[in-house]
Amino acid sequence: MRFDSYHPAINFIFFAAVITAAITFDQPMFLAVSYICPFIYSIALNGRRSAIFNTVLIPLVALFAFYYSSYNHFGVTNLAVNFIGNQITLESFVFGFVIGIKTASVLMWFSCVHNVISSDKVIYLLGRAFPKLSLFLSILLRMVPRIKAYAKKVNTAQKCIRKGMNQGNIFRRIYNFFRIQSIVVTWVLESFVTTSDSMRSRGCSLRGRTAFSIYRFDNRDRSFVIVLFFCFTVLVMGILLDQTHILYNPEIILNRITPLSYVFLATYVFLCLLPLGLQIAGEYRFKRLMLMTADFSSEQL
Amino acid sequence: MEHFKIENLTFSYPGTEKKALNDISLKIERGQYVTLCGKSGSGKTTLLRHFKTVLTPHGERNGNVYFEGKPLSEVSMRDQSAKIAYVMQNPDSQIVTDKVWHELAFGLESLGCDQRTMRLRVAEMASYFGIQNWFHRNVAELSGGQKQLLNLASIMAMQPTVLILDEPTSQLDPIAAADFLNTVRKINLELGTTVILSEHRLEEVFPSADRVLVMDGGHIAADATPRSVGDILKEQDSDMFAALPTPIQIYYATESTFACPLTIREGRSWLSKELTDREIKITSLPGETEYEEPDPDKTAVELKEIWFRYERDLPDVLKGVDLKIPNGSLSAVAGGNGTGKSTMLKAICGVVKPYRGKILINGKRLDKYKQNELFRGCLAMLPQDPQSLFVKKTVKEDLYEMLSGQWLTKEEKGKLVSEVADICEVTAFFSSHPYDLSGGEQQRTALAKVLLCKPEILLLDEPTKGIDSFFKIKLSRILKRLNGKGVTIIMVSHDVEFCAKYADNVSMFFDGSVITTNTPGRFFSQNSFYTTAANRMSRHIFENAVTNEDVIELCRLNK
Repeated sequence: MRFDSYHPAINFIFFAAVITAAITFDQPMFLAVSYICPFIYSIALNGRRSAIFNTVLIPLVALFAFYYSSYNHFGVTNLAVNFIGNQITLESFVFGFVIGIKTASVLMWFSCVHNVISSDKVIYLLGRAFPKLSLFLSILLRMVPRIKAYAKKVNTAQKCIRKGMNQGNIFRRIYNFFRIQSIVVTWVLESFVTTSDSMRSRGCSLRGRTAFSIYRFDNRDRSFVIVLFFCFTVLVMGILLDQTHILYNPEIILNRITPLSYVFLATYVFLCLLPLGLQIAGEYRFKRLMLMTADFSSEQL
Repeated sequence: MEHFKIENLTFSYPGTEKKALNDISLKIERGQYVTLCGKSGSGKTTLLRHFKTVLTPHGERNGNVYFEGKPLSEVSMRDQSAKIAYVMQNPDSQIVTDKVWHELAFGLESLGCDQRTMRLRVAEMASYFGIQNWFHRNVAELSGGQKQLLNLASIMAMQPTVLILDEPTSQLDPIAAADFLNTVRKINLELGTTVILSEHRLEEVFPSADRVLVMDGGHIAADATPRSVGDILKEQDSDMFAALPTPIQIYYATESTFACPLTIREGRSWLSKELTDREIKITSLPGETEYEEPDPDKTAVELKEIWFRYERDLPDVLKGVDLKIPNGSLSAVAGGNGTGKSTMLKAICGVVKPYRGKILINGKRLDKYKQNELFRGCLAMLPQDPQSLFVKKTVKEDLYEMLSGQWLTKEEKGKLVSEVADICEVTAFFSSHPYDLSGGEQQRTALAKVLLCKPEILLLDEPTKGIDSFFKIKLSRILKRLNGKGVTIIMVSHDVEFCAKYADNVSMFFDGSVITTNTPGRFFSQNSFYTTAANRMSRHIFENAVTNEDVIELCRLNK
C-alpha cells in the first residue's frame, strides 16, 4: 500500500520529477504546493522525526531571507537602509525567501526519498545499467558495518587485558586507539583475501554479468506510469505557457492568472500528493475489507 | 569414469623446502562422500585447493589433477565455477553482498543467467534450505550457522556436481554444526552430489561418510572406510587415533572381536554384546568426592546474584548468577549458545557492569579495585576469538607489546616473554604474523599474551573452539601446568567432552543463571542428554562412566 511497494524505477521517476519541479517552479502558488506537499508526506512517512525537522527548517528559511537581502540589493521597492548605508529591498528579500523555501522543499522531499528508496533499490537501479558498479556498492554496504563490528570486538578483547580505547591515561588511550586502528586495517585486507577467493570461486571474473532483482513491474506500476506521464504532459504545457514562472528583478511581475492556471496547479497538487493519496486510499480499503470479513465471520458464527 | 583423479601430486610453497603435498594419488568416484582428516598443518587445505584452478596456491607443483576425465587446467572457468563448489572455513568473510537474496543469486549473476532462471533457482534454493523466512534480511543479522548455510545454498544454486568443504563447521557451535553437516549429508543422499569434506568433528561425519582419507605430513596415511580406518591408524600407532569418534576408540582399546561401531547407538549394542555372557560385578568406578562449596578464604571469585542487561530496554542477560570458584581450580561453565555465559565472564573482569549484585575477587569487591591493580597480576580474560587480541606484525612483537609501559629492563622483559612462550609452546612461530597461524596456534599465542598480565585468575571464553583434538590435549596440558602454579581458571565452553575430561568442577548455565555445580563425574552421569558420548554409550550398563578412559577401565575390570 505504501509507495515503496511500487517498482523502484517508479519511485525514482516520481521523486526525480517532484524534486526538479520544486527547484524550477517559482510562481508563489506552485511554490506553496511544493512546500506543503512534502511537508505533509514526510510527516506521514517518518512521523515525529520529520515533524521536528520540518519545523526547524521554518526559522532557517526566514533567517536565510534576511541574510540574502542584506547582501543583495537589486529591486525597486526600498524597505529600509541598513547600518552601512545599503538598501534592503522587498524584491531581494522575497527572492531570498523563495530560495529558502525551495531548499526546504527539496530537503523534505529527500527525507521522503530516504524512507522510500532503500539501498537495495539504488543497487537494483544501478545494476540495470552497470552490473559491476552495483556489485561494488553492495560489497561496500557489507564491508562498512562489518569493519565497525570488528573494531568493536577488538576493543572489547583489548579491554579484557586492560588495553582498551578508554583505559589508562590520555597518552595510553591515544596509543591504544592507534594500535587498534592499525590491526583493523590489517584485518580488512586479510578478510578481503577470503572474500575475493569466494568471489572468484563463484565465477565473479566471468564475462557477461547480469543482475538479479526481487522486483517485478506489474499492472499497477504500468497504470501509475500512465497517470504520472499524463501529469507531466499537463505540467510541461504549464511551463511552456510560463505559468510556473515569475520575475523578481527589478520588480515582481506575475503572469496573469486564468482558469487554465488552476488546472495546472491542480495537476501539480495531484502529482505531489499522489503517493500519499494512494497510501491512504489503500489503507482505507484494506481496513474496510478487514471489517467486512470480520462481520462476515461473526455472522457465520 | 571417476569424478576427480589425482596423479602423483607434489607441491611445495614458495621459499620452503618442505613439501606441503607429497606424491598424492587418488581417485574419487561420482556421488562419493569423502571425509578428509588430519592434524592442522597436514596439508588438508592445500590439497582441497588443488581441486579448483582459481584457488590453487602458488608454488612448485608436479603431477596432474583430472576433473571428469579432463586435465583441470583445461576445464573452462565457466564450467569450474558452476560445477565445482567450494565452501571455506570462515562463514563471515565468504559472504560477498549485503542481502541474503542477493548472496543467493551472486553465482548465477556471474554466470550471466537470465532473470527467469535466476528467480526459479533462487526460489528453489531458499525453499530447499529453509531460508525463506530470512530471505530479505541483512547478512549482518544472521547467526554463524545461518551464514554458513547461506554460503552453502548460494553455491548449490549453481547446481554443482561436486561440493568441497574446508572445515566448514570449525567456527560454529555444536548444534549449528550438526545442522550444517546434516544438510550436507542430505545433499549427498538426495542429489548425488560428490562431497569432499575436511573436518575435525568426526563423530558427526563418520556415519555418513563412504570413505575416510587421513593426511599426515603432506601424504595420505590412510584411505579406508570409516569402519576400517581404525585398524590402519591403530597399526601405524598414529596420533590421529585420538581424534576418532568415542565408540571407535573404546572399541579398539577393549580388543573386541565384533564389528566396529560408528555411532552411539551401535556403540550401545556393541557394548551389550561385548559384555553379554559376563557377570557384571562392577558398575561404577570409585566416585569422586561430593562437590563442596569452597570456604570463603579459599574462594577466588564469588558472584552474588548478578543481574545485567546491555541496554535499558533490552531483556536481562544475566538473571541472578550465583557462583563460587575455588582457588587454584579449573572450573568449567557449560551451557548452550546465547545463554549469557560470555557475558558473565565479561562481568567478572569488569568489562560490563552489572546493575545489581556483588562480585568478589579474592574476597574484595570488584569495584573497589583500581584498574591497574585488577589487570596487573590479578585478572585476565582470553576472548572467544583469539585473533582479536593481536595487534602487531609478528608473534614476538605482540608478546613484547604487552610489557610496554612497564619499567623493566630488556633482560627482564626477555625473560618474562620466553617464560610464557615456553609454557604455551609458541616459541616456534615467533616470527610469523599472528593472523597466519592456525586456529590452535592462535589460541596458544593469545593465551601467552594474556599470561603476560601474570593473572592469578584466568578467564577463558570457548578455548576449544575451532581446535582439533591434538591441540585440545596440548591446551589441557598447559592449563594443568598453570593450575599447578596456583592460577585459578574459569572456562566457558560448549565442549562437553573437554569439560568432562579436564575440569575440576562443572556448572550448568541456563537462561541467565547457574543451575547447578558439581564435579564432572557426578555432573555428567546425572544428565542423560547434555553429557559425553562415552556416558551416553555406556549408561545402560555402567553408572558413572563419563570419559572414554572410564568405560575402558570398567570393561577391563569386568573381564
